[in-house]
Amino acid sequence: MATRGQGVLEKMTKETDIETATLKVFRYRPEVQLEPYFQEYKVPYRRDMVILDALNYIKDHVDGTLSYRWSCRMGICGSCGANVDGEPKLTCASFLHEFKDKEIKVEPLANFPVIKDLVVNIEDFMEKLDAVKPWIIRKEETPPEKGEYRQTPEELEAYKQFSMCINCMLCYAACPIYGMNEEFLGPAATALAYRYIADTRDQDHEARFPIVHDKEGVWECTLVGECSVACPKGVDPMLAIQKTKILGATQLLKPPRRRK
Amino acid sequence: MTSEGSTGKYPEYRKRLGPGWWLSNPRYTTYMIRELTSFFVSIYAIIYIYQLSLLAMGNFSSYDIFVRNPATIVFSIIALFFTLYHAFTWFYLIGRIQPIKLGRNKSTTPLQALAINLVLLLVISYAVVYLFILR
Amino acid sequence: MGKAKREYKADKIHALLWGIFSVGGFIAAFLLPILIYINNIAYPLGLWPVANSSLIKIVFMVSLLSALFIFVTIGGSLFHGIFRFKTTLPELGLRRASSIISAVGYIIITVGLIALAYYLFHLYQQFDPSLFHRII
Repeated sequence: MATRGQGVLEKMTKETDIETATLKVFRYRPEVQLEPYFQEYKVPYRRDMVILDALNYIKDHVDGTLSYRWSCRMGICGSCGANVDGEPKLTCASFLHEFKDKEIKVEPLANFPVIKDLVVNIEDFMEKLDAVKPWIIRKEETPPEKGEYRQTPEELEAYKQFSMCINCMLCYAACPIYGMNEEFLGPAATALAYRYIADTRDQDHEARFPIVHDKEGVWECTLVGECSVACPKGVDPMLAIQKTKILGATQLLKPPRRRK
Repeated sequence: MTSEGSTGKYPEYRKRLGPGWWLSNPRYTTYMIRELTSFFVSIYAIIYIYQLSLLAMGNFSSYDIFVRNPATIVFSIIALFFTLYHAFTWFYLIGRIQPIKLGRNKSTTPLQALAINLVLLLVISYAVVYLFILR
Repeated sequence: MGKAKREYKADKIHALLWGIFSVGGFIAAFLLPILIYINNIAYPLGLWPVANSSLIKIVFMVSLLSALFIFVTIGGSLFHGIFRFKTTLPELGLRRASSIISAVGYIIITVGLIALAYYLFHLYQQFDPSLFHRII
C-alpha cells in the first residue's frame, strides 16, 4: 500500500543512498477482514536502530493503523514482546543489523491469542502470576521494632535470579508445551513461585504446592529448555521448574508432620 | 478494560501449533531427537524380556538364533547409540540443574559434570563386566 | 485480581511417577549401555569380554546379585523409556489420544515388569546350584 510516507522515503532513497530495511509485519484487523495478512514496510536503516524504532517509524510516517505494545524502550517493562524472524524477542532490544539482509518478519508473540496486529491477549498469563501467591507468606510476623528479616548473601543467591523477571512472556512464546496446552502453568509463573519458595523469609512453601504440583503444573514440562534461551533477563525458568519437580517428588510424598 | 482482556466484539486470532512444530527450529529438533531416544530404550527393554522368556522356557537354541540374527544385532547397535545419546544429554541436564560443589566458591559447569559422569559410566560399566563375567 | 479459573490440587501420584521416571533415567544412563553391549553385541559377535565365556555367564544367570542387576536395569529402563515415550507421542500431534496412550503405556510397564520378574525367577530356579555361586 503506497502512502505518502513511503513515497517520500522512496524518493529520498533514490536521491541520497539512504539504506533501508524491509519489515514484513503481521496484520490482523478483524474489523476489516477476518483473515490475517502480512504487510511490507520499508524503513530508513541506521545501525543503532531497533525493531521498535522501525515500528514507531511506520506508525508515525507510514501507517497509523499498525497496533503494538511498548513502553520503556529499554528492556525493563516487558511490554514489547514479539516474534521476530520466528524467535521471541523484545522489539526494543533487537537491533535491525542482527537480522540477515535487513529484511525482517515481525509477528505477534507466539502461543497467545491475537487481539489485533501485534497485540496479544495476556489475561491467562496475568491470572497465573496471581495464582502462585507471589508474596512472602509468614506464619509469624515479627513486629517492625524487632528489625528487618535478615538474609546472608548465599540465601539471596538462592532466589535472586528468579526475581529479575520482567513478565515479558517471551518464555511462554518459546515454550511448545504451552503452545500445545494453554492450561500449563508455564515458565515465568513457576519461576515466580520458586522465587518465593526459595526465599528464606517465606514460611509456607506448601501454600504454593497445590498450584505448582497440579497436573497442569510442573509435571507438564519436558525440559525443552527454550524458556531459558529466550529470557532477556538471564532468568532460568527451566531450572526453577526442575527444582520444583524435585521438591514435589521429595516433599509431597512425606506425611504432613515431617514436611519442612 | 474488561477482566477478559479482549475487545469482545471481534474474534481473536489463534494459530494452532501443528504436529511439525519441532521441525521449525534446530533447537526444537534436537530436543525431539533427545526425547525419541526413549523409543529405542523401550523397544530394547521389551526385546530383552522376550529373549529372557526364550531362555526361561529352556529354548537355548531359539535364544541363540534370535540373538545372532543380524537384524537384532543391528537394532542393538542402534539402541546402544541412542542409549548413550540419552546418557550424554541426561548428564548434561543434571549438571545444569545440580552443579557439584568444587570447594567454597566454585561449582561445576554442565560440561564438567558431563565429563565426571562419563568417567563414572566407564567405571560402573567395567565393574559390571568384572563382577559378572571376568570373575 | 484474577478470578480463580479452576481448583488447583497437588498431584501426588504424578510426583511419585516422575520420581521413578527420574531414577529410571539414571539407570538407563549408567547401567543399560553395558548390558546392551554385552548381551546383544559382544556375545553374538564374539567381542571382549565374552569371547570365551559360556552362554549362561553371558546372560548373568549365575547369582541373585546378577538377577537383581538385570531387574533393576531392564525394569528401570522400561519404566523410563515408556514413560518418556508416552509423553512425547502427544507432542508429535496425537494430543487427543494422550489419555489412551498413557493408559497403554502403564499397562505395558506393568506387564513388562511382571514378565521380567517371572522369567528371572524361573531362570534362577533352573540352574544347578553346585555349578554356580548362588548369592554373589
